[in-house]
Amino acid sequence: MNICGILVHTQPKKFDAVRERLLSVQGVEVHGMSEEGRVVVTLEEDNEDKMAESLHEVQRLEGVISASMIYHHKEDENEAISQEKVQ
Amino acid sequence: MKQTRREFIKNNAIAATAAAAGITIPGVKEAIAAGGDDGIRWDKAACRYCGTGCSVLMGVKDGKVVASQGDPDAPVNRGLNCIKGYFLPKILYGKDRLTQPLLRKKDGKYDKNGDFTPVSWEESFQTMADKWVEARKAKGPKGIGMFGSGQWTVWEGYAASKLMKAGFRSNSLEPNARHCMASAVGAFMRGFGIDEPMGCYDDLEHADAFVLWGANMAEMHPILWSRLTDTRLTKKGCEVHVMSTFEHRSFELSDNDIIFEPQTDLAIANYIANYIIQNKAYNKDFLDKHVNFTKTPTDIGYGLRASDPREKAAKNRNKGKLSKISFEEYAKSVEPYTLEYTSKLSKVPKKNLERLAKVYADPNKKVSSYWTMGMNQHTRGVWVNGLVYNIHLLMGKISEPGNSPFSLTGQPSACGTAREVGCFTHRLPADLVTKKDAHCKFAEKTWQIPAGTIPRANGKMDDKDQTDITGKPMGKTLIHAVAMHRALNDGKMNTFWVMCNNNLQAAANFNDESYPGWRNPDNFITVSDPYPTVSAMGADLVLPTAMWIEKEGAYGNAERRTQFWRQQVAAPGEAKSDVWQLMEFSKYVKTDDVWDAALLEANPEFKGKTLFDVLYANGVVNKFPVEDVTDDRGNKYDNDESKDFGFYVQKGLFEEYRLFNSADNIPKKGHEMAEFSAYHKSRGLRWPVIDGKETLWRFREGYDPHVAKGESVKFYGKPDGKANIITAPYEPAAEVPDDEYPLWLSTGRVLEHWHSGSMTMRVPELRKAVPDALCYMHPKDARKLRLRDGAKVKVVSRRGEIETRVETRGRNKPPEGLVYVPWFDAARLINKVTLDQTDPLSKETDYKKCAVKVVKA
Repeated sequence: MNICGILVHTQPKKFDAVRERLLSVQGVEVHGMSEEGRVVVTLEEDNEDKMAESLHEVQRLEGVISASMIYHHKEDENEAISQEKVQ
Repeated sequence: MKQTRREFIKNNAIAATAAAAGITIPGVKEAIAAGGDDGIRWDKAACRYCGTGCSVLMGVKDGKVVASQGDPDAPVNRGLNCIKGYFLPKILYGKDRLTQPLLRKKDGKYDKNGDFTPVSWEESFQTMADKWVEARKAKGPKGIGMFGSGQWTVWEGYAASKLMKAGFRSNSLEPNARHCMASAVGAFMRGFGIDEPMGCYDDLEHADAFVLWGANMAEMHPILWSRLTDTRLTKKGCEVHVMSTFEHRSFELSDNDIIFEPQTDLAIANYIANYIIQNKAYNKDFLDKHVNFTKTPTDIGYGLRASDPREKAAKNRNKGKLSKISFEEYAKSVEPYTLEYTSKLSKVPKKNLERLAKVYADPNKKVSSYWTMGMNQHTRGVWVNGLVYNIHLLMGKISEPGNSPFSLTGQPSACGTAREVGCFTHRLPADLVTKKDAHCKFAEKTWQIPAGTIPRANGKMDDKDQTDITGKPMGKTLIHAVAMHRALNDGKMNTFWVMCNNNLQAAANFNDESYPGWRNPDNFITVSDPYPTVSAMGADLVLPTAMWIEKEGAYGNAERRTQFWRQQVAAPGEAKSDVWQLMEFSKYVKTDDVWDAALLEANPEFKGKTLFDVLYANGVVNKFPVEDVTDDRGNKYDNDESKDFGFYVQKGLFEEYRLFNSADNIPKKGHEMAEFSAYHKSRGLRWPVIDGKETLWRFREGYDPHVAKGESVKFYGKPDGKANIITAPYEPAAEVPDDEYPLWLSTGRVLEHWHSGSMTMRVPELRKAVPDALCYMHPKDARKLRLRDGAKVKVVSRRGEIETRVETRGRNKPPEGLVYVPWFDAARLINKVTLDQTDPLSKETDYKKCAVKVVKA
């Protein structure tokens, strides 16, 4: 399990287009946006290489002024599965 | 609602991100509450990388860091994290961590040409001590050298300074911050008489206009950049001016793009001053009350070896003594910098220059100026820092919210450790200097060592020669970073200990100076590092280091904020922290080995003692017993150093250091800090800390407790309370492009890698994203050389060459005539190409300007 929370800055008027672009990136979900253009994004991707690619892709998208990582959680696959069973 | 662990973690991610964005996402909080405790212990730490000083929360489970998060309670980053910060946990777990000391050996004995062989700490330190004492006795105070770091924790720098200056009686201590911040320091001391910025990061929300003078904040200080971006997008009329010698990512937010010819920032700053004077926009009242006008000697050389023709030609080589002038004389000195002349020299269109000047000259616009290596790594770095202060002082736009000339720092504790503790050859703790006899005497009293132990800069106490262990007078004792590599090369310095940095990769002119110096058969080089860096591989003894949160630590960031963290996890194998290494090594050397006989005769109680006894078992450093380290949630933390030495090492060192900055009898006020325990409880405090309260803006009444009621502004670092405007002209760079080497080379960093890449290149995701240093070039220059994008090339200078690929469409877009190559790549050492030129005043290397050619490989 490999999950990341990202805060993206964009011009509010460009939000719709930027959301489309964000959603085209593998593993990305968009959860909301503030009036000032701050977008709440999560990225979920268990394959580390793909995760890294997606992260860099988010940074380079047109209309993304800055992308800050807020939260990161990584757990060993087997350990995570056993914990999921417990819960 | 039943949720899987995956859902629970994802809800955590959403909640943390939403909190940072200042919005609420329905349902998330409830889901987290339902998820309950997941067995992870969270605790704060200052980020390991840059000078921004973000706070990060590290999640530890079963002795391993499993999660990280931007710290939502941190005033610096408010929950944000950059991409390097996001991958922080992984820097601890690179596959090639060093876990035991390695000594070059042949046939069971030390041999400079032998293979690295695992040895014990005892053998390591005994071998080292033999070499160090021998070099100290044979070659004097400059026969040994230590090269430390702006990444050392506060107490590591303090322990090192004490070991070298009071123990070994040598001023041969320099930090890598010499390559990074020395010009900024020089300008602070000349202009204000006290180091570090007057403002703070709160200016990022208060300013109406931002000017970047040679700083790519978008990549190098991304969190400060996101705060600046927020202000630009939300504040009406806010504007951003970006100056650089090439276009980079910060230009995406720029309202005024200024690409200037290298070195002409000197002229641009003078043009702005001239514009302000010609338009009578200056703040006369402020100037009358708070400012002196001075000039500095010109034609001062380029910090090259004395034998270099450019040094022989310099009229006032290395000179910097200021002389007073009148306002009229100052005005006349900047008069030649007209719009016409400056535009022609700098190649910046007139309208862009004028727009920039107008922002500074507008009394109603609050302006914050930011700079980093573009201005510091400059053969006229002290001058150009000063020229920007001149502009702010002319307008009185200083020391108040939003009006802030601000020198950004590259390293996490260049300020807190290298500068504040005084890990430079000429410095002692809290802005004291070795060239002042009285400062040395204060340090000796505080350290309870005999008067005359610390070598003075000129080797004289009370105007009499200090005697050395060699039996000869000490002589002049200062030696700066670049001179150290030259001294190694010349065989004048025979032992060198490099800690917490990668100087073989970082220093300029690898081929002619650094490498021959390190591999000189007369020399014994020790490198302490967590990883087998270029420096470690170039050493004779490699010591494995416990890094960052594997020890209790403290860093001081660019806005004067001192931050602590607890030891979160254990170091692998036999790795030990730098503070442990410094203190343990001191047990292997005795006063009789390095102090002269007369000093010991006069102070017999010091005879036969180890340096450890004298420096660290002095009743002050070892005053505090080992205690259980806990947080306010009842979690317990280890402290391996305290366990080993039997006293609370970090607390003792910090409290002794406070005798320099916070005791009643200190020579220089203004650096006051809170007591040790206060920092473990807070997200850092900005000094001066008086009665537990931090200071946001210095030198101004109402903000700074050192400025009395009715004084309005007082630059109290100077005896008369006035700051210096220092005039200095444009002078050309040391090596400008010519027919044979027609291109400027600038080196620097990229977002994904920090400095030499010793940590970030071990994070697979970052390495994969940016694996190689490329040569960024203008498409027209590439076409002229018949190079396609991605073509293999050699970048060649008079000193050396590297092979890489051309990039014409990347994030950096140089103008015609300039190429940019990052220096993180150990496989492509761009410092084989650079020139070891320095600012003659600050001794900081200029990595931004030398002449190269690019040819097909």
